[in-house]
Amino acid sequence: MEQLLEMARKVCDRAEIFSADSRGDGVSFENACMKDIDSSMQSGVCLRIIKDDILGFAYTRNLTDRATLIQNAADSLRGGVDGAFDFPFTKELPDLDTYDPSMETLPNSAMVEECGRVCEILSHKTKGQINASAHRSTGRIRIINTSGTDLSLKSSAFYLGTDIVYPYTSASLHRTLVSKRFENAGGEYLDFLADTYEQSMQEVQPASEKLKVLFLPETLYVFLWRLQSAANGQSIYQKISPVAGRLGEEIFDSSISIYNDPLNDSLPGARTFDDEGTPCTRFPIIERGVLKNFYYDLYFARKLKASPTGHGFKGSISGKPVPSLNRLTMMPGDESFAGLIQSMDRGIVVAGALGGHSGNIPNGDFSIGVSPALYVERGQITGYAKDVMVAGNIYDILKRAAGLEDTLHPCFGGTLPAVLFDNINVTLKK
Amino acid sequence: MFEILRSMISKVSALYADVRYEIMRETKIAFNGRELFHIGSNSTDGFVVRVLREGGLSSVSFTRQEDAGSAVRTAEENASLIARHIKKPVEFAKTDVIKNTFLPVLAEDPRNVPVDEKLRLTKTYNDIPLKYDGIATTNIHYSDVVREKYFVSSEGAEIREDLVTAALGGLITSREGSLTQNVRVGLGGSGGFALLRNQEEEFEKRTATALDLLDAAPVSGGTFNVVLNQDLSGVFTHEAFGHFSEADLIEDSPTMRERMQTGAALGNEVLSITDDPTMPGQLGFYCCDDEGVKARPVRLMKHGILTGRLHSRRTAAAFGEAVTGHCVAEDYRYAPIVRMGNIFIEPGKNSLDELLSLLGNGLYILDSKGGQTSGENFTFGAQYGYIVKGGKKGLMVRDINISGNLYHTLKNITAAGNDLVLGKTGGCGKGQLNIRSCHGGPHILVRDVVIGGV
Repeated sequence: MEQLLEMARKVCDRAEIFSADSRGDGVSFENACMKDIDSSMQSGVCLRIIKDDILGFAYTRNLTDRATLIQNAADSLRGGVDGAFDFPFTKELPDLDTYDPSMETLPNSAMVEECGRVCEILSHKTKGQINASAHRSTGRIRIINTSGTDLSLKSSAFYLGTDIVYPYTSASLHRTLVSKRFENAGGEYLDFLADTYEQSMQEVQPASEKLKVLFLPETLYVFLWRLQSAANGQSIYQKISPVAGRLGEEIFDSSISIYNDPLNDSLPGARTFDDEGTPCTRFPIIERGVLKNFYYDLYFARKLKASPTGHGFKGSISGKPVPSLNRLTMMPGDESFAGLIQSMDRGIVVAGALGGHSGNIPNGDFSIGVSPALYVERGQITGYAKDVMVAGNIYDILKRAAGLEDTLHPCFGGTLPAVLFDNINVTLKK
Repeated sequence: MFEILRSMISKVSALYADVRYEIMRETKIAFNGRELFHIGSNSTDGFVVRVLREGGLSSVSFTRQEDAGSAVRTAEENASLIARHIKKPVEFAKTDVIKNTFLPVLAEDPRNVPVDEKLRLTKTYNDIPLKYDGIATTNIHYSDVVREKYFVSSEGAEIREDLVTAALGGLITSREGSLTQNVRVGLGGSGGFALLRNQEEEFEKRTATALDLLDAAPVSGGTFNVVLNQDLSGVFTHEAFGHFSEADLIEDSPTMRERMQTGAALGNEVLSITDDPTMPGQLGFYCCDDEGVKARPVRLMKHGILTGRLHSRRTAAAFGEAVTGHCVAEDYRYAPIVRMGNIFIEPGKNSLDELLSLLGNGLYILDSKGGQTSGENFTFGAQYGYIVKGGKKGLMVRDINISGNLYHTLKNITAAGNDLVLGKTGGCGKGQLNIRSCHGGPHILVRDVVIGGV
């Protein structure tokens, strides 16, 4: 990489190289039986150069031809993409515990045995179809630039996902165990799935009306997606954010606090620097309902004459950094999951959301199919309902939080509690 | 290249092995509003090796050729581990051994179009919406992706197939006060760069829709009878029905296999559905899948009766059915999985006016904004719609999301139009992104659809 940087320096004013190597193995069980094991060994190098404040970009999977990579980046300078920013000089970052070397040598047979054990235990607790999957990965990234930054990070991760599937569908109850090292699923993880499934097996047909709705942590990404769109420096720059100019205003219920927390190394994915080498911090987006910050990468920070916030992340080696919130966490409340259920006279538990990616995301609108939709009556889950839609706007619904779970769960979208909302439009088929 | 690939799998001690190598060349251009955000051309490559040993099938993807030995060993070990735990050993259905090269017929190969010309065309289209006051911004992208694929199997297959995909489209965003609306636009396909030329009218039309949406009323939630346009009937076919026709998704679900038995009367008699990757010039066209199986059309439903499904070699053996050539990978990072090619509802006999008359009162809903399925349940967004009263199109409505149950909806499709259209852009995110997943259909009339209002 040093050689590549030296070569690149000769054709530009400033340069940055990002490299990534990863190894991953995944094991899957379907209907409680062994299904697949797949492995992946991936590498990549990405080069950004700036000449006369114009940005050039190129990438490759195999650094066998440095000259061609540099030529590709130089060719892209002709387009005239604005590059009037500097690559940061970053050093002396805090140490984080992001890597467990035992993950390098973990045999795939250990993941097979754990998936088999989970399926075996759940098979005795429920008649539902059980799918389980485990995945482990290790990786290393490195960023060097002509400002003098030389940062690298090793990481490891282990995921264990389990689903109990409702009959004649692929709608399921799901929970994920996330760790930096191999772990066995605990009793609480298994009991939640088995108990909730057993309580909700009976199909019921409630009527459409405004109800209390409890979003499980796995479904809160529907709201967070829209909030991320609104607080993104790109949306602010393009003047399509509905919260532009509202910093300091209370836009959600005061029980809602949402942070991006990349420094929390208790779970995989902790970072002290983003994919551009800018230091990361614990970053409030919403604090007690008040909008605190917008987030930027180098490009949009420069556009908006703001400071970069350490949120420039690449989706893949072939992508440029863009503003991203990748470690969201919502502060927990003070009610147990069982307590939240007991507080519902009649309502729906959103255990799976369909169509979270469609609808008018910039506006904050959502309109999701709920699958599975668990039905609650007199404080107990009594069954599941079909053909259920829940709709609203996050700037309305998040003002009506009626209770937050006291436990955070790692899941797609962040580390989150279950959240109860009052008086939500629920549409059910006649 | 074939010799290198043959050498990689020559030492595998297994019933079967294959290896795929791909070189992927991409050119991408992106505008955010008036500003050029990205431009560049790049080339990457990589391998996927698969081993079927003692009833265990495993794959390893890798990017460095020097990792080939390690990748093959890992695949062998994984396959043996699976074999020790699997209840029903994996078998591959028989297929013809193909040795051939398939190169696409293109109206203008994008590799021969200078990047400056691609930039000019993208800018021309991007400038169309931006000349209107009500347009807040655009996110318009150009991309061409050239995949040069080489496949070798221990059975003797040696296949090169090139897939060339060109696309130009994105989002047009309108804004008035606190109301933001957006409309998707998409051009392109597998037929070459010429498909992208002379499309100014399409951008003008989409811009007009984005502006009209600022004056549209939000739709009210409830259950409605609806007419879906071709794009939405395609999304329904893909999301709700098509995924259940992919045999790998139901292979291990006893209840779904019971429900999706060939011969089951699942749909209304007006409904016939086909998937055909061999349609020349369509987005989902290919000759051989990523297992080296020749692609063929599959009639999935005929007059409401389930008549077929889409297979890999593994699932074809598991179901005791013939291979169909539908096992496709996104690129060199992935093992292939069962995917749709060009899936569509076959055309019926009604014109759009006749369908609106049959509808009477309800909604006419147009153009997809993405969809998702979870077994029998599906949800998809629509870009806009109209209230229909007495068979006449009335006020425009916005913020429409549709949800439903597959089996009820298949029965509730009571009429199909005579105006089949296949999409120019597609895409499916079943674990991997398939940018050539194509869907379409005619206008269709559907009874009792759940609409979620805002």
